Amino acid sequence: MTTQVLTAGQLRRQRLALRAQGWRDFVRRFSRRREGVIGVAILALFTLLALAPVFFVGPLETAVTASGGRLEPPSPTHIFGTDELGRDMLNLTVHGTRISLMIGFLATVVTVSVGVVLGVISGFVGGRTDTILMRITDFFLVLPTFVLALVLTPIIRDALGGGGEIFGIRVSLLVIVVAIGITSWASTARIIRSQTLSLRGRAFVDRARVIGAGPVHTMMRHILPNVINLIVANAVLVFAGAVLTETALSYLGLGDPFQPSWGQILNAADQAGAPGLGAWWYLVPPGASIVLVVLAFTLVGGALDDVLSPKRTGRK
Amino acid sequence: MANRYILRQVAQAALTIMMIVLLNFILFRMMPGSPERILLGRNPNVTAEALQQTKERWGLDKPLLPDQFVAYVVATAQGDLGYSYVYRGKPVADVLAERIGPTLLLFGLAELIAIVAGLSIGAYSGWRRGGAVDYVGNGISLILYSMPYFLIGMGLLVIFATGLGWFPTYGMVTPGATYASTWDHVVDILAHLALPLACVAIGLIGQYSILMRASVVETMNDDYVTTARAKGLTDGRVLRHHALPNALLPAVTLIAVNIGYVVAGAITAEKVFNWPGLGTLTVEALEARDFPVLQGIFLLLSISVVVANLIADLLYGRLDPRVRT
Repeated sequence: MTTQVLTAGQLRRQRLALRAQGWRDFVRRFSRRREGVIGVAILALFTLLALAPVFFVGPLETAVTASGGRLEPPSPTHIFGTDELGRDMLNLTVHGTRISLMIGFLATVVTVSVGVVLGVISGFVGGRTDTILMRITDFFLVLPTFVLALVLTPIIRDALGGGGEIFGIRVSLLVIVVAIGITSWASTARIIRSQTLSLRGRAFVDRARVIGAGPVHTMMRHILPNVINLIVANAVLVFAGAVLTETALSYLGLGDPFQPSWGQILNAADQAGAPGLGAWWYLVPPGASIVLVVLAFTLVGGALDDVLSPKRTGRK
Repeated sequence: MANRYILRQVAQAALTIMMIVLLNFILFRMMPGSPERILLGRNPNVTAEALQQTKERWGLDKPLLPDQFVAYVVATAQGDLGYSYVYRGKPVADVLAERIGPTLLLFGLAELIAIVAGLSIGAYSGWRRGGAVDYVGNGISLILYSMPYFLIGMGLLVIFATGLGWFPTYGMVTPGATYASTWDHVVDILAHLALPLACVAIGLIGQYSILMRASVVETMNDDYVTTARAKGLTDGRVLRHHALPNALLPAVTLIAVNIGYVVAGAITAEKVFNWPGLGTLTVEALEARDFPVLQGIFLLLSISVVVANLIADLLYGRLDPRVRT
C-alpha cells in the first residue's frame, strides 16, 4: 500500500472541498424541513426591512413630520392607520423592525458569548472552577431573570446618564442589551458545558495535549469548532427570547421613545389608550410582527436542532 | 435516604436565597444616591437625628463588609426592606403586602385553569398524535408560545371590553361603586377578573400543553406501555393507569421550573388591565424610579420562585423514588 503524499495546496483544496460538501449537505437536509424554510423566509423579509427601512417607508416620522391625522383607521393613504400623533403606523412598524432586531441581535451576541466562554471553561477546566461556575449558573437559572433585568435597567441607565450615542445606537438601548445579556446566558452555558465535557474525553483532545497544545489552544482550536453547531442552534432560540424580553421591557416603559422598537410602540399605544378607544390598528402591526419573528425563530431553531444534532436523526 | 434528600434540597434552596440577598445588597449599593437617603425615601424634611438613626440601624458608618452586609441581612430577615419613595416613606413591606392579594388571586386561578386544561389538551394530543386535535392544538400552542402575555391581553381588551362591551376595561372594582351586598361586590370583582384571568390562562395553556404533549409522546415509546398493550388492556386503561402517571411527573416539574417566566408575564399582563397587583406596582415603581420598592419586589418574587422550585423537587422525590439518590 502506498501512501499518497499531498502538497500543502492539495491539502487545502481537499479541506475546502470537504467543507463545501458539508455545507451542501446541511442545506439539502435543512431545506427538507418545511417549517424551517418558512421560518427562514419570514426572517429574510424582516431582515430586509431592518436593513433599509428608509428605502421602504422613508425616514422615521416624528410629531413634526407626521403625515396623517390623529388615530386614523386604515385607509388607502395609510394602509395601517395612524397613531395618536398622526404618524403612519407602517412607517413606525418598519422602523421598529430595525430597532427590535438590532437590540435582539446585540443581546444574542452578548448572551451567547458569555454562555460559551463560561460553558467551555467550566467543562474543560473542571474541578473547583467548574463547581463554582455551575453554582452561579444554576442560581441564574432559578432566578426570575426578567425581574432582575427590570431592576438592573434603570440602575445601569441612571449610572451611565442615559443620553448620548455609541456607534449610532442610543445608550438607553445599549443598556437594555447589557441587561438582557447579563441575565440570560445561563442555559447556553449549561448546554455548552455538557457538550464540552463529552468532548474532553475524546481521543483527539488527548492527542492535542500529548503533542504539546496548551489549554487555551485546545479550547480554541479543538473544543470550539466542535460545539459550533450547538452554538448556532442555541443562538437562534436565544434570539427569540431576546426579542421577547426587549419587547416586554420596552412595553413596561424602559424603551426609548426616540428610537421606538415594537415594544415601545405598544407602550405608546397603551399610554394613548388605544385598546380602550378600539384603535386595533395601533396594536396589530407591531404585535403581529413580534409574533411572526418569534415564531420564525422558534421554527428555525427547532429545524436546526433536528438537522445539526446527530442524535436526533431518524426520529420524528 | 429520604431524609438526606430532603435535607440537601432544603440546604440548596437556603443557599440560593442567601445568594439572592447578597445580589440584592449589591444592587442596593449600585443605586444612585447615598444609601441613608435611599432608605428614608426622598423626604426632604429628614431631621439630623433620623439620618443618624438610619445610619446606625443599617451600620452605614461602618465598613461595607462585613458590618453593612450583616446589618442588611438582619434587617431583611426581620422584614425591614426600607421605605418607598413614592408612598410618603411607607415601609416597602407594607406596600408589597397591600398588592400581593390581587396577584395571588389572578395567578392562582390562572395556574389552576391552565394546569387542568393545558395538561388535558397536551395529554390528548400526545395520545392521538397526528390527529386533528393534535394538529390544530399544536399550531395554536406554537403561536401562543410566541406571544407575550400583554399582546393576548390587548387583543382580549379590544374585542371583549371595547368592542363588545361585555367586560370592564381596567381595575379590580368599579371606581366609586357602593354595593348592596357582598355578593354584588364579588360579582363586580369577577367581571373585572374575567379578562386578565383569560389572558394569563390562555398564555399558560399554550406552554403547558406543549410540555405535556412531549412528555406523553416520550412515555408512549417506553417498554412498559408496550407491555400494557400486549397484555390486551384497553386504550383508555393504558393511558390512565400506565402512560399518564409517568408522563405527569416531568410535566409538573417543568411547570414549577417555569414559574419564574410566569412571574415575568404576570407583570406585563397586570399592566394591560391595570390589575392592582405586584405587576402594576412594578410599573409604578419603575416610572417613579422607586428603587426600594423595585428591590422589594425582586426579593419577594425570587424567593417565591425558589420556594416553588423546592416544593416541586420535594414532591418529585416523594412521587418518584428513583430521584432520591
